[in-house]
This record gives sequence, C-alpha cells and structure tokens, in this order.
Amino acid sequence: MSAAGGAASPPFGRTIARHSLGWLAAANLVGVWLGVSLLWPAAGDLLAPFTFGRWVPLHLDWQLYGWCALPLVGALVAWAFDPGHPAAEHHAAAAFGAWSLALLLGGAGWLGGVVSGKLFLDWQGWTRPLLPAAMHILWALLAAHTGWRWRRLSVLQRSLRALLLAGLLIVPTALYWAADRGGFPPVNPDSGGATGASLLGSTLGLVTIYLLLPALLGLAAPRRGGWLAVALAVSWLAFVAVDRGHASHHDGAQIVALGVLLLWIPLWPLGWGAFGWPAETRPWRHAAAGWWAVLVLSGWLTFLPGLSERLKFTHALVAHAHLAMAGLVTSVNAVVLVTLTGRPAPRGVFAAWQAGCALFVGAMLVVGWNEAEQAAELYRGEGAAQVGFILRLAGGLAMTAASVRWLLDAWSGRKGGTR
Amino acid sequence: MPERVRSRPGSGVAAVAAVAATYVYFLIFAEFAFLELVRAVAPERLRLVMAGLGAGGVLGAMGAARWYAAERSQTQLAWAFRVCAAAAGLALAARGVPLLLAAGVAAGLGLGAQTVWLAAGLRAALPPGRLGLGVGLGTGLAYALCNVPALFAATPRQQTAVALGVALAAGWLPRAFARSSSPSAPAAGLAGAVLARWVVVLLALVWMDSAAFFVIQHAPELRAATWEGAAALAANAGVHLGAAVVAGALLDRGWHGRIAALATLALAVACLVLNGRLPPVLPAAWWYTAGVSLYSTVLVDLPARSGRVSAAAWIYAVAGWIGSALGIGMAQDLASIPSRFVAVAAGTVAVALIVRWRAVTAGALVLAGGIATPGRSADAADAPVSLGREVYIAEGCMHCHSQFVRPRVASDVERWGPAAELGPLLRATPPLFGNRRQGPDLANVGNRRSPEWNRLHLQEPRAVSPGSRMPAYAYLFAPGDRRGDALVAYLASLGAETAPRRQEMIGRWTPRAGPVLPPGEARTRFVQLCAPCHGPEGRGDGPVAGRLSLRPPDWAVTPWRHVPREADAEVALARIIKFGLPGLPMAGHEYLPDGDVVGLARHLRALHRGGSPALVVASPP
Repeated sequence: MSAAGGAASPPFGRTIARHSLGWLAAANLVGVWLGVSLLWPAAGDLLAPFTFGRWVPLHLDWQLYGWCALPLVGALVAWAFDPGHPAAEHHAAAAFGAWSLALLLGGAGWLGGVVSGKLFLDWQGWTRPLLPAAMHILWALLAAHTGWRWRRLSVLQRSLRALLLAGLLIVPTALYWAADRGGFPPVNPDSGGATGASLLGSTLGLVTIYLLLPALLGLAAPRRGGWLAVALAVSWLAFVAVDRGHASHHDGAQIVALGVLLLWIPLWPLGWGAFGWPAETRPWRHAAAGWWAVLVLSGWLTFLPGLSERLKFTHALVAHAHLAMAGLVTSVNAVVLVTLTGRPAPRGVFAAWQAGCALFVGAMLVVGWNEAEQAAELYRGEGAAQVGFILRLAGGLAMTAASVRWLLDAWSGRKGGTR
Repeated sequence: MPERVRSRPGSGVAAVAAVAATYVYFLIFAEFAFLELVRAVAPERLRLVMAGLGAGGVLGAMGAARWYAAERSQTQLAWAFRVCAAAAGLALAARGVPLLLAAGVAAGLGLGAQTVWLAAGLRAALPPGRLGLGVGLGTGLAYALCNVPALFAATPRQQTAVALGVALAAGWLPRAFARSSSPSAPAAGLAGAVLARWVVVLLALVWMDSAAFFVIQHAPELRAATWEGAAALAANAGVHLGAAVVAGALLDRGWHGRIAALATLALAVACLVLNGRLPPVLPAAWWYTAGVSLYSTVLVDLPARSGRVSAAAWIYAVAGWIGSALGIGMAQDLASIPSRFVAVAAGTVAVALIVRWRAVTAGALVLAGGIATPGRSADAADAPVSLGREVYIAEGCMHCHSQFVRPRVASDVERWGPAAELGPLLRATPPLFGNRRQGPDLANVGNRRSPEWNRLHLQEPRAVSPGSRMPAYAYLFAPGDRRGDALVAYLASLGAETAPRRQEMIGRWTPRAGPVLPPGEARTRFVQLCAPCHGPEGRGDGPVAGRLSLRPPDWAVTPWRHVPREADAEVALARIIKFGLPGLPMAGHEYLPDGDVVGLARHLRALHRGGSPALVVASPP
C-alpha cells in the first residue's frame, strides 16, 4: 500500500485509464492540427472540406466529454460497482466502450458538419441521442451493481446511493434537452458571454464534484470536514440569491457573487489535503491547487469591467479555457487515474504536461492582452501574434507528447503497484 | 477436409481469362453498346428491350442453377459463352425492335447462365488460397481493358463485335478448367440467413453502381470528367485493376465484409459527390471506379468460394439483374441519386453486415454517413438565407468569428458597426454570438462587405486578404452545390437593420491624431493589402482585379470616384480605406490603426495622377 487510508485499486482501473487517456490523446492531436492550420492555413486547405471549423468541435467535445468526464465517471464506477462481481471488468468495459463509441460517432458527425451551433453542446441531428444512450447504459450498470450490493450496504449507504442514482438519471435527459437549439443560457448583455451567476454556478458544481471525489475513490474521510460543507452551502446560497437572468458584469452583485469563488482558492486544496491520497498523486495535487488558484483569480479579474472589455473575445479566453481544462482538470484527473490504477504517470509526463500547459497559457494570454491594439497583425498572421501562435503550438506538442506517452504506458503490459 | 482437385495445366489462367471475358462482355456490350444500338434504332423502346435483357438474366441465372450438372459443367459454361456470342451477333444484325428484343433476352439468358456456371467452376479451377486473387485479377483486367481508349471510344457496333469475339473465344476456356474430384462439395456458410444478408448487401451495391453509372453517362460534364481523355481512362484503368487485385488478395484472407463495407463507402461518396451533396474531395470517378472494382470482385468471389450454385443464382438474379434494373430505373426517373437513397443503402448494408462485423462495419458506415451528411438543413429546400445560416453553423464559422458587438465598447462599435438589442438576438435558434475573434466580428458584415467580396474571400481568402488564417471554402461553390451562394446570402443579411446608423457613424468619423505610418512603410502596407486589387502602382491591375464586377480605377488617369469635390481628400480616402464602400467590392480595413489608415491615404494621393477635378459618384445603396 503506497498511502494510508486508501482503498484497493478496482480491477477495471486500466479500462478507465485507457479510455480516458485515449480521448485525451485524440483531442490533443486534433488540437495540434488546429494549431498547425492556424499557422499555415494552406495546410488546412489540403483536408477541405474538413476545415478548421469542422475540427474544433472534435477538440472541444472530446476534451470535455472524453478526457474531462471519463476519469470522473471512472470514480463513480469504482464507487458503485461491486468489485467482487465476476463480470465487473466486463461491465466497466461495456460502459466505457459505449461512451467511447458515442464520442467516436459524435466526432464523425461533427466533422461532417452535424453540429448545433452551441459550444460544447454539438450533439445534434443523428448524434443527439448517442451520449444520452451511453449514459443510460452506464446508469443501468450502476443500478444493477447497486442492486447486487444492496444487502451488504448500510441504511445510510443505501440512501446515498439511491439519491445519487436518482439524480444521475436526470443527466442524459438534461444533456439531450440542453443540446436543443431552442434553448440558450442567460447572456451578459454587455459582453455577449456568460453572466457572473452562470460562472459561479458552473464552478461551484465543479467544486462540489471535486469535494465528493475522495469519497467516490474510497479514501478514508477526514475527522472534521463539516466546515467545508458549511462553506459549500453558503456558496450555493450566494448563487441562489444573485440574479440569474441576463445580468451584466457591470452589476456589482454579479461581481461580488462571483467573488465567492475566491474563498475556494484555499478551501478546496485544504479539503483535499485532509484525505489519505496515494503518494504518487502529490505532484498532480500540488499542480491542481496552483492552477486552481490562477484560474479562479484570473477568472474573477477578467470579469471586472475594464479588464473584461479588453480580454473578451481575445485569445486570453483561450488561455483561460486551457487554464481550466489543461491545467486544473487534467491535474485533478491525473490524481484520479493514479489512484484508480495504482500506478503513477510515466517519467517525464508530469513535467512535459505542466510545462507545455504553462507555455500555452502564457502565450495565449500575451496574444490576447495585445489583441485589441494588434488585431491587424493577428488577422494578417504576422508579428508578435505569430510568435505567440508558434509558442502555443510548441506547448500543444508537449502536452500531446505527454498524453500519448501516458496512453502507451496504460496500454503496455506493465502492471502498477496494487495498493 | 481440403477438396481434391484434378490438376490441369493452365487452369488458373483460363479461369482468370473467363472471369475477364465475362466482365468484358457485360461491361462493353450488355451494359453499354447494346443499349446504344437500341437507342439508335428505337429509343422509345429502350425500356422494353432492357426489361427483356433483365428478365433473361434472371431466368438464365435461376435456370442455370436448376439444370447445373457438375459432370458437364465445362460444356455448359462453354455453351453459355456461345449463347452470349450469338446474342451479340443478333444485335449486330438486328434492324428492328423484335430482333433487338430477342437479342436482349438471349444476352440475358446467356449471361445469367454463364455467371452462375462460371462461379460454380472457379473454386476448382483456381489454386487453393488464390481464388480471390484470380477473381480480382480477372475483374481488374476486364475493367482495365474496357478503359483502353481504342475500345472505349469505338462505335457501339465495333464494341459489340469485340464482345462477340471475346465471348466466342471464351467458349474454349472451360476446357482448360481443372475439375473437382467430388462433384458436390459446397462450403458451409452461404445459405439461409447468411445468403439473404449477402444478397441484400450486393443488391444495394449494384443499385448504387448502376444509378451512378447512368448519371455519369448522361451528364455531359460528368462524362467528360470521368471518361474523356487518355489520361482519365488510364487513371480509371489503374484504379480498377489495383482495387480489384487488392480486393481479391484480401478476400483470400476472408475480408468479404470489410471489402463490401469499403465498396459501400466509396460508392456512397461517389453518389454524394455526383448529386452535389459532397464537394469533390477526390474526383467522383475515382470513388466510383474503386467502389465498383471492390464489390465486383466480391460479387464473383463470394458465390465461387461457396461452391453453391443456388447461392450464385440468387445473388446474380436478385442482386445483379434486379439491382441493375432498379438503379438504372431510378436514375432515369430522377436524373440524380437522392441522398436519402444513399443513406438508406449504406444503412441497409450496415445492418446486413453488422452481425459479423458489428464494431468495424457499423463504425465505418456510420462514420461515412456522418461525414457524408453535410448538415441539418443542407437537404432541406430552405430559402438561401436559412440554408446559409445552416452552412455557417455546419462549417464552424463561429469558432473564429463572433456575431456580437459590445454596446459599451467603443472600439467594437467603430470597427464592427452598431450594436443590436439583445432580445431579438436571443430569439435566434441558436444565437451565434461566438466567443473568439480570430477573424472580424460578423454581426454587421452585410453592410461592411459586398456579396461579391464575400464570395471571393470565401473561395480564396489569401488572394483577397493576404495573410488571412481563414481556410478556403471553394468547395461550397462547386457546380450544383447551393451552399456557397446560400452562405453569401446569409452574410449579406447580417446587419441590414444597422446599415443607416453605420453610414451616419462613418460620416462623422475622422482619424485620431497620432503617429502616421511613414511613406516607405505605407507603400509596403499598400502593396501587401491593396495591390491584389489595385495593383502595386494603383493602376487597377492587381491579380484579383479581373475577377471584380467593377474594375478598380487606374489612378494614373482616372479622377477619384468616391471623393466628394468639397471634401478633405485625405479624410475621405481614410474613411474609404477604413470602412470600405458599401455595395462595392472595396472592403474596409476596420482593424487598422488610424495612423496606418492615414499613411495609406497619403500614399494613395501620391499615386494619384488622374487630374485634380474630383468626380463624385453616388454610392449604391
């Protein structure tokens, strides 16, 4: 056992890792292609009609529904599945296979131009029921395993699992409904982007999931964690209280409400620190805490009037998105995978990923900051903007190499340490 | 237990030649020259004669199965070739409908029987483990031979004569066939439900092939692109031969399902390119030839490998003859291949194959279907603006272009035009605000760029906007494709309601005081941004100029067209440089710093030799 308090790695940890890392590598490869075609558009023309705009949904949605989601789904499966069931591995393979098939077919549809026009909700036309269908398969397996374990569970465990299953049953329908072109979330009338309330709600959702993660992974709970629950409840109260309509970032209440997230810069890492994580997760957890701090602080600052006007619609937004996805989420998901598989990421992966991410984010932030004055250079593909794009590509290559290296390791026969 | 074969020298060669002869006869005569002979004599009776040909084919195939005798199989096959030869001779001699009809029925009967009996004999005639390769080679050679320019361009009567000769000569080939020592040793597998599935698969493939062939044959431009010129024919021949031989080799490894799936993909793409639903990523002819060769090899190998005469009969009668009739009939009636038919055909093949190739086939075919589906409403007969919006969504334009002018951001309003109210914007399904600007905002592009400029820019972005990162969308403007024009119409519709306000704003605009681009740099910038239309010296002779409806003026001799007499010429020119001329190909450069704009305006004045009298021309609405 490499760390105190941890549960044994489930037998299907490698299945989770392979699917998760497979989508990370695939999405990153598409990202590299996007970076190349922005620098050398003539190269992109070679693949017409599969032009830049056709590839973007693959990069975005494979990252979101593939890499960002699957490790968390893995944690859920690890928590709900009966590890002693003789077909548990097979069931996990079926659940993740269905999910991956949905993503593969979705990618084919997006590349073919079957998209909704709503970012990250491209499930449209014949692709629309794919992921909800895969989610239903997953849900059925979760429910079946819960049923098989029912008699061995305490009343509290039964209640929690029944509650969670009931909540999860809504998700496929919600996704299907959200992908409808007729619905659109509240809009900040002064920026055309998300409102402060929307940003607060989505980030608090992430915080909530992250706070549940150690329990899903079977880590021993700390003695005192009640204060986190109180802080979370207060934060959600702020969300409930603030105007959730089309509110501007010039509205002081929106600024203050979003500022609630600043409290979580120390709170979330402190909450996680109380659990007995495997030692191999340490660098990833530290990186996650670092990216989290930068993400929340920069997110709040760029929401402020003045800064928002300068950075909205610029590549600073690309930087922010990668802060979240490549920085925070990837580091958290690495923690999940290391815990579930009982094996660390291969040597060099952590350094390559973090350096690549930092380079990417830094380059895009600088390009975005200068974009207002240097739009001409950006559109003409010259000057500092072009240097920024080259640096971005370098960062993307480093992250892609790291993800491919890790994927190959997950596919190799080497077994990790069993905790 | 391996089947014992009485070896006979030259058996394999004879088998390959027999396969080639059968296909040559079918391709050059039954499918082509014979129909032209009928059309020349009685075009109004073409369908009747074709029905006779098809009915003969079905009867011949089924009858061949009924009267097949293993011990006389070589003789039977030889006589089938001779009946085919006789049918060709009758067609040459015929001068009226009755004889042509008789020739058609005879050709069908002979060909139907010939294919079944040939399939029955191939397993013994070809070396073990090389059946597929032999079939592929024979199939590929036949297609390649039919693409030899001298034969391809020959008159129908000459082609018929060649077919007659080929069939007559092929009548000697069965003698060289090796024969199985066991008269009836069919392989397990191709019977019952499995046979039914394969009949369905091949029916769909023959149907698509026949329809595509007919459409190409009857559209002069497609025909020219596909079959005119020695180079095109040589390329076709190469693709045919290569695809068939590779398919044959893979069939020896049991790749029947995968080859059929690939053939479906290739034919589906060919059909979608032909009906304009897909841009010609590769010429439709290449997709078509590859798909045809792939499935044609399966069509012979599958029943031959099974050794079941009844299986061959069902496949050739239903998939071959009825499939051909359905495909040609559909193309005759509709003059096109509907996308829905392609989708249904591909889906049918997927369902039929899915039992064996559950993951690979379903994935590949749905992948093909997904890629082949251009977008939600591309199939709908929408108004151009609505369709253009769908194209905008499908092509992912929103990933680089926003459609939202921030009302409180002065630089946004100055560059991209007046902001619109949020309420109406939110009623769009969905709003296309976007979140990045790797290119300009498009909320008001309809009053910032003319349709002509947008069209040119979409087709060749860097020819119009040097350095642009935008991909080329020339494929949207392919003949028969409505998407390009629809996208231009959609872009022209954006910002119509803000045009008057923007014109007022432009009228008030003056450059901010500040550093001005030095003359040398201004000239460089002019050459970079303006020379594509105006030419390096402002003579209106840039490389794009000839493609514009209104040629740029030659400033050496022409007075200003759009600078009012009483106006400050530098400011007026700066306004044109920055905001363009509404309705004309002259586009603005809204993103340029004011100092660059003024520097360019001064450079223009330096280039201008067209005399001092200023000419005022009213801008079109």
